[in-house]
Amino acid sequence: MSTAVPTKTYTQRAIRQLGADELGALSTEMKLSLSVEDMLAVQVHYHTLGRDPTDVELEVIAQTWSEHCKHRIFSAEITHELDGKPETIDGIFKTYIKAVTDQIMEQKPGFVLSCFHDNAGFIKLDEETAVCLKAETHNHPSAIEPYAGANTGLGGVIRDILGAAKGAKPIGSLDVFCFGKPDMASADLKGDTIHPLGILRGVVRGVRDYGNRMGIPTVTGALNFHDAYTYNPLVFCGTAGVIPSADIDKVARCGDLVVAVGGRTGRDGLRGATFSSASLDTESHEEDVGAVQIGNPIEEKKVNDFIIQAREEGLIECITDCGAGGFSSAAGEMISECGGEIYLETCPLKEPGLTSWEIFLSESQERMVLAVDPKNWLRIVELADIYETEATEIGKVSDSKVLRVFHHGETVCELHSAFLHVAPRKHFSAVHQTRVAPTAEIGDASTIGVDLQTILGSFNICSREPIIREYDHEVQGNTVIKPLSGPGGDCPQDASALAIDGTGKCIAMGVSLLPQYGELDPYRMGLSSVDECLRQLVVAGADPDRVGILDNFCMGNPNEPTELGQLVETAKGIADAARAYQVPFISGKDSFYNYFETEDGPVSIPVTVLISGIGIIDEKTQLTGTSIRRPGSRIGLVGATANETGGSAYSLARGEEGSAVPGVDLEQALALYRALHEAIKKGWILAAHDLSEGGLAVGLAEMGFSLRAGIEVDLDTVGDLAPQTLLFAESNSRVLIEIAPDHADAVIACFAGLPFTLIGSSTDAHTRLRASRAGSEVLNEELSTLKDTWKNGLTPYY
Amino acid sequence: MEKRPDALLLKFAGTNCDEETARALRAVGFEAEIMPFPLVTQERIEQADLVVLAGGFSYGDYIMAGKLAQLELQQKLGSPLKTFHEHGGFLLGICNGFQILMRLGLLPEGSLIHNVNGRFICRWVGLEQASTDSLYLAQLPATFELPIAHAEGRFVAPEGQSATYREQGHVALTYVEDVNGSEERIAGIQDASRRVFGLMPHPERFLYREHHCDPDWAGDAEWGWGYFFFKSIHDAIVLKRETTKQEASA
Repeated sequence: MSTAVPTKTYTQRAIRQLGADELGALSTEMKLSLSVEDMLAVQVHYHTLGRDPTDVELEVIAQTWSEHCKHRIFSAEITHELDGKPETIDGIFKTYIKAVTDQIMEQKPGFVLSCFHDNAGFIKLDEETAVCLKAETHNHPSAIEPYAGANTGLGGVIRDILGAAKGAKPIGSLDVFCFGKPDMASADLKGDTIHPLGILRGVVRGVRDYGNRMGIPTVTGALNFHDAYTYNPLVFCGTAGVIPSADIDKVARCGDLVVAVGGRTGRDGLRGATFSSASLDTESHEEDVGAVQIGNPIEEKKVNDFIIQAREEGLIECITDCGAGGFSSAAGEMISECGGEIYLETCPLKEPGLTSWEIFLSESQERMVLAVDPKNWLRIVELADIYETEATEIGKVSDSKVLRVFHHGETVCELHSAFLHVAPRKHFSAVHQTRVAPTAEIGDASTIGVDLQTILGSFNICSREPIIREYDHEVQGNTVIKPLSGPGGDCPQDASALAIDGTGKCIAMGVSLLPQYGELDPYRMGLSSVDECLRQLVVAGADPDRVGILDNFCMGNPNEPTELGQLVETAKGIADAARAYQVPFISGKDSFYNYFETEDGPVSIPVTVLISGIGIIDEKTQLTGTSIRRPGSRIGLVGATANETGGSAYSLARGEEGSAVPGVDLEQALALYRALHEAIKKGWILAAHDLSEGGLAVGLAEMGFSLRAGIEVDLDTVGDLAPQTLLFAESNSRVLIEIAPDHADAVIACFAGLPFTLIGSSTDAHTRLRASRAGSEVLNEELSTLKDTWKNGLTPYY
Repeated sequence: MEKRPDALLLKFAGTNCDEETARALRAVGFEAEIMPFPLVTQERIEQADLVVLAGGFSYGDYIMAGKLAQLELQQKLGSPLKTFHEHGGFLLGICNGFQILMRLGLLPEGSLIHNVNGRFICRWVGLEQASTDSLYLAQLPATFELPIAHAEGRFVAPEGQSATYREQGHVALTYVEDVNGSEERIAGIQDASRRVFGLMPHPERFLYREHHCDPDWAGDAEWGWGYFFFKSIHDAIVLKRETTKQEASA
């Protein structure tokens, strides 16, 4: 190599003689984000070794033990108090996620093919094929640099799929954003932060430019606007993949070459993992920009094409992506068990003069690490040339059980996995007081039409069309339920569906995020999110017994017991629902410290959980849209309606808390979904729409947006509550279905013993949405007017 | 059995509609090969009946869409492509491939520039045939629909030329409504030989009936309009081959 060798590429850090305060100061100085307890544990380890660590080693430990990589809060022991009753939680992940999935894997052998140890979890599509889904957040980078943050957020999760199993093929993406309100007055913005509109535009364009260039359709998503997200926007990106089941298991073997593929390594994205594991403050916008990576989607597209070809030719023994922690985590994941050697001077660099730790920990994008049998090396190089990317041998796999890193002949880092992967356990306190919900019904029956207009135009309900149009949601030619569909291609859909080439089957992809419930009742938010996600998938045609879901948690400050208490209760909610539905968690991720220090004190986000899921659709004939297809159909309501308006769109529009947050009768809900799926399989369901935010009124209006028929319903058939409650309550597990009159009896029989009623019909007598209660009309609005309001809620802002 | 017509898809770094385009070509009876650009040779092009430039973002499209791919193609295979065309070969460019074809100068002079609203647009559009002799649209009705997905799809030509192209039958396909600011609402263009065709809409994304956003679409029970688009080219190539053979034997 012609580049000049830097005089000194690493330093020894004398830590063995330091006191606790000095260790803390060193952690701060080096931006390690390690606590004094962590630093003391590191000190003990190096006492045992009888030497001091190098800066490379300290950086590796800091990244490995960071919240971002190690999820230490999800593993921590938590002393929790619910309504005054104490309990001890032996790790949120272990108790509420892994235990649930373990149990379901026993109940459904052979369905979950891989989970929790790889980049993404896989479920069985058919005998030969598996599908996977992974979602991640890129919150902190998106707050500081929305375009690049979202760009690399999607780029990163796509690499997760490419690095899952022996290299899955990415087939579709989802994006879910939580922002401050787009109409917020700039004068109200604290500190040097970006206005929610600036974040919205930057984030959408970031996702657009990565997803579109990669040729991966962005098919589903959601938007949530809330003042508390102003300083900590949430950006969730997820991608689904497909692979032959035989290529799921991977292992790096002694003698394999360690090969870096894709982009070169530079100083961009240093310390990203530790950066994202701390809170933001007004200084962050200037200081931490170097922690945000720079995306190059075409580089990743080349890597994508290379990997799929190499995997099909059987050239990959093992693969993982370079995400947080760069080479250190990729190499660590791949060869920490067996051991191996990395030679940093062989890594292709963007610029000369990088120190050892910079090379080893850089989070430069578009890089993958492969283990390759030496006999396949020449073909790997040939393929890299064909796909115009770069493959470089940077090390070897051994059986030494130690990962040694060399730089110009010197050992700069020696990692012992036994120490590295057992970070000291943390302890937290949490507390939660269950809300006593008011039992009175809220609202006003005389303003239902106006209220419906208001809700349809509100930021959280209105059409995401201006954003959806910017995403290529049809590339790969497999999007069979599109994010906007129906006759004009502009009607809302619940889940999207992708056909899987060569199998005759499809997958549905859905998302649920309900922070407005969590503020009042986090446990019920957990229940509702799993219920809504499953419901969306079933409505699109998926089998409720073949669904896998992901949990992505975001919260503010875990050191605040009330905030952590809400997280614990949310986790209980999703666990109870998943267990009852036998829907396994196949992957998940958590993001903490989403709070912002201002002069007036910290602003935390509400505890937020995104449940996203994939479900198997066996036949294309089962694909079901949400739009009314013709006049003369019967309209049925699956599920029961109760006085549940807590956190509902209706109560928010009125500036009230509302009554109870919607609960779930888990046993009944699963029976409903199975019955609905049977009816769909029989071909009796013309259209089906999940009832969620905005309740029955919004659901009916949205179904009518095909403008193919008017709709008439009799609310007396729905329940014995005030008309506004019947129309706007957000009770879970409900679905509206359109049925051809000939099939009405069969559908009724299908739901025998379950809450199901025919509530009305579609008609060619008018083009309106009409509802009556006790013989008098309570709602009568022109569907096209409602649709205009819904379509244009966001257009003035995006 | 008669050899299937041979379609060669050139894959640049960033081409991303190659697989579904190959799938559509195979469905109508082509032998279709996706070939990464570094592997493409003059000999391989000479073997092909149809050369396809598929959609995507060749080399990122960070400068004018399709420009870098055009320069690469021009330098490496410019003259073989010209010869291929002169010897009766067919050339199809879809979306990014259309942008590349325009810049290669194989179609009437013009350019595809940023949509009038400055945004990427992904939606279904109504289309109408604007010429009577397009080999690529022969089996399609006068009006039909396909999805579009592009940021740079607005057709512009030297002053007054777009109307002339329409008169001369170069304009094969137009949008029913203005969607991106294209002059004369141009969506697809053909050359004088009618064997070179470029269009912004994506026929490969409407291969099967279930690709349509409306479950009640009143078309074929199995195939979408895209099928009939590719079938038209297939049949035109087969017909031309037979004609050539007859002429040779006569």
